[in-house]
Amino acid sequence: MTMERIRKYVTLGNIIGLIIGLFLTWFVVAFLVYPNLNLLKAVFWVNGTFSIEPIQKLLHSTRALKSLLNSFILAVSMVVTVNIIGIFLVFVNEYFDIKGSRLLRIGYYTTLVYSGIVLVSGYKFLYGEQGFITKFLSNMFPFFPAGWFHGYWAVIFVMTFACTSNHVLFLTNAIRKIDFQTVEAARNMGASSFYILRRVVLPVLQPTLFAITILLFLTGLGATSAPLIVGGTEFQTITPMILAFSKSPTSRDMAAVLAIFLGAATLILLIFLRKIEKKGNYISVSKVKSEIQKQKIGNKWLNALVHVLAYLLFIVYALPVLLTITFSFTDAYSISTSTLSWSHFTIANYRMLFTEADAYQPYIISIVYSAAAAILVVALSLTVSRFLHKYSNICTTALEYAMLIPWLLPSTLIALGLIITYDTPRWILANNVLTGTMWILMIAYVIVLIPFTLRMLRAAFFAVDSSLEDAAKSLGASTFYTFRRVILPIVLPSTLAILALNFNSHLADYDLTIFLYHPLFKPLGIAIQNATSGQTTADTQALGLVYSVVLMVISTVTLYLVYGRKSKA
Amino acid sequence: MKIKLKRILLPLLGIALASSLAACGNNASTTNAADPVNSTNSAKPTNSAKSPLVIYTNSASDGRGDWLKEKAKEQGFELQIVEGGGGDIANRLIAEKNKPVADVIYGLSTMNYEEFKAQDMLEQYKPAWADEVSDGLSDKDDYFHALVKQAILMIYNSTMYDENTAPKDWPDLWNDEQFHNKYDAPRTGDLGGGTVQATLAGILVRYQDPNGEYGISQEGWDAMKNYLKFGFYKAEGEDFYANLASEKTPLGPMFSSGIASREQQYGVKAGIVKPEIGVPFIVEQAAIVKGTKNLDSAKAFVDWFGSAEVQTEWSKQFSSMPANNKALENAAQDIKDLEASVKQQDIDWAFVNKNINNWVEKIQLELLP
Repeated sequence: MTMERIRKYVTLGNIIGLIIGLFLTWFVVAFLVYPNLNLLKAVFWVNGTFSIEPIQKLLHSTRALKSLLNSFILAVSMVVTVNIIGIFLVFVNEYFDIKGSRLLRIGYYTTLVYSGIVLVSGYKFLYGEQGFITKFLSNMFPFFPAGWFHGYWAVIFVMTFACTSNHVLFLTNAIRKIDFQTVEAARNMGASSFYILRRVVLPVLQPTLFAITILLFLTGLGATSAPLIVGGTEFQTITPMILAFSKSPTSRDMAAVLAIFLGAATLILLIFLRKIEKKGNYISVSKVKSEIQKQKIGNKWLNALVHVLAYLLFIVYALPVLLTITFSFTDAYSISTSTLSWSHFTIANYRMLFTEADAYQPYIISIVYSAAAAILVVALSLTVSRFLHKYSNICTTALEYAMLIPWLLPSTLIALGLIITYDTPRWILANNVLTGTMWILMIAYVIVLIPFTLRMLRAAFFAVDSSLEDAAKSLGASTFYTFRRVILPIVLPSTLAILALNFNSHLADYDLTIFLYHPLFKPLGIAIQNATSGQTTADTQALGLVYSVVLMVISTVTLYLVYGRKSKA
Repeated sequence: MKIKLKRILLPLLGIALASSLAACGNNASTTNAADPVNSTNSAKPTNSAKSPLVIYTNSASDGRGDWLKEKAKEQGFELQIVEGGGGDIANRLIAEKNKPVADVIYGLSTMNYEEFKAQDMLEQYKPAWADEVSDGLSDKDDYFHALVKQAILMIYNSTMYDENTAPKDWPDLWNDEQFHNKYDAPRTGDLGGGTVQATLAGILVRYQDPNGEYGISQEGWDAMKNYLKFGFYKAEGEDFYANLASEKTPLGPMFSSGIASREQQYGVKAGIVKPEIGVPFIVEQAAIVKGTKNLDSAKAFVDWFGSAEVQTEWSKQFSSMPANNKALENAAQDIKDLEASVKQQDIDWAFVNKNINNWVEKIQLELLP
């Protein structure tokens, strides 16, 4: 961004805009562009020459190419399957009249507090070699293979049910914005239920669905835990390889190449969906919205089928969580054999967690870091979204894409970029050194949260009708007042959901944290890793589950504080 | 709407603030003095004696870190331990080389220290106990000194095999069909680990060939390919020793000090394969980081930690094999027996250090199934 272009803002209007614009420019350059370019330079310019050797090496590796292909297969499959399940969940919760939907909702919300490796382990209690369902099936059919839950289908099954969080949160917010009078009007004019769904309901959901689809695609490309646990050697994906490469000094260039390739694929999808997005109008017509009323499904058989499916899904969601909680009260023997008996019931694992000398400290440190990062990144992204919503020019487009840079690199490399760039005083940070301070971890947390936050907030901003804003302005409201009293309330539900998700996402982070944490402030992710791997004096498997349950409790409390009370109101 | 917003956000901010204050409160008194990076005038010797030493290590689990902190405190050392996987700690150290956070490093392996030395990251210092360590274990230029020897062994479930039926050496695993899919093989994410790298090196250096790819002959690469082809790859979250005990994979690599505690946990004794060629030994070292603001107390700490007395206790607590000969004399009998019974494989670690990253990369790209 050149000064002239920034000057244009001044002539356009307000000085605050200029200050914010300058701040954003500084932020993007200092934390998104400069450290990452610096790292890429260190990675690719070996001995002063640029080399395309990493690309050649990758092209010659059948293993890398196959893993890459698998990642794309997974990403595309997930876009289909998760959207189907996710949309179904949201309609069951919000649109159709389903008996017991309050209970169902609890089951569907479990993915919000329960993710990654824990979730996949939860699935293993059911479908793994020793799992309950496997045992049940092999009792019924003697030749049923114990290792059936394996490979592509197992991965896609786990990932499908693991990744509906964004639907449950953001699509729900979007569906609540549908103007019920329009639905009624359509019905009065003789539209069928299906027609109403297709022509009235879905268009309003489209911006959110697009945003979720991009995230799904990215999640599929970046899948780690599920392929590592149930993929086996026949369905390996690329992310574990990227992670391994990013930790080896000689192979870092390949990690960067692969990550940039995946990021570029996501960006292409993003640009494509943005093109479609721009053509549409996603604001429901009525200015005086009436709340949506749940629709009864007319056809008796269809109604029964939807009920059965809804409860089946509830079981699929709820059982792994219940089993994880139950098994956290047992020992390694019970966990590895998936057997439950009173004689193996113990609370020793929990006792150990809370009686250690400085056991509570990592929790406080991680909670403070995560909360601060979540709030900062939401404040930043709200500002940026507001800019993007209000102005559309080359600067804002550049800003938007710059904010997506963290999608282009694995978190290890982002961490290393920060360390090697800010280990000496740089004028861009007023000659402050970041390496070795407690700030560097906070900055890194903020950086990696930006793309997700911005993407979801932008989708929320599509629901803001600019005529409301104009009305407020013409009544004499100031820009800030309009933002606070008119726009913020509209985007608030999504904002709070993002806040909660962001908070949860870094509570137990290891990959980024290990490189940046301050010796005095040991975060939870480090404590968990050290307690559960390489440890032999304790029951590490049980301890792993105990930590997961504790994290689930923290996440649930957060969701309730930030979000739960609102949704009840 | 306004009231609602406040209701929701205020408690959240409240929590954040309260907890951040709590966290500050805990440490406010120590932060300034403790932070070696931020303290501008720490060049004063009076300050450096008091400020805590920041120790980087991969060897703080199983209570090692807490034990060390406590014992060091009795000697007047305040320690802050940054612990993580060996590869992660080494990467972090290298990334921070212009602005070191660590004062002292211990653990890891000779390969890592060779790299640190090459990048001029270490302070030259000869600890008081340097002469009690056998030649060839520590750095000849006194940049790092040996603390603990780890034999990287192939172990087996002793209820399934005995000395005669177990493999005699690594090549048996892939040459003898009965062991196929019975041994634990390294997955993508394991290849950065010290034990795995020493195992790979132990196999590859048998086929050293100056004209071969990365110094290894084609025969060697074929052997490595077969080793990886016929191995069993456990899923994330599975534990090798648990699989050994359950007879799923009764064979696999293990570092010597890890055996005793696992035998106890799983109730299955491990048999040890003793190949004629010997087994790789990796050596955990101690070194002082160049640029430390606490040079004097770092030296004093290394003098204390590596001493025969402390290493004897360390060995008794955590069944390590001391590099310090005086400490080894006083170590538990089974450790002395192990030390005496397995031969050290002759490995040119400088050669390994030069090539290991390329080897691992080739394995990742071409040889893993």
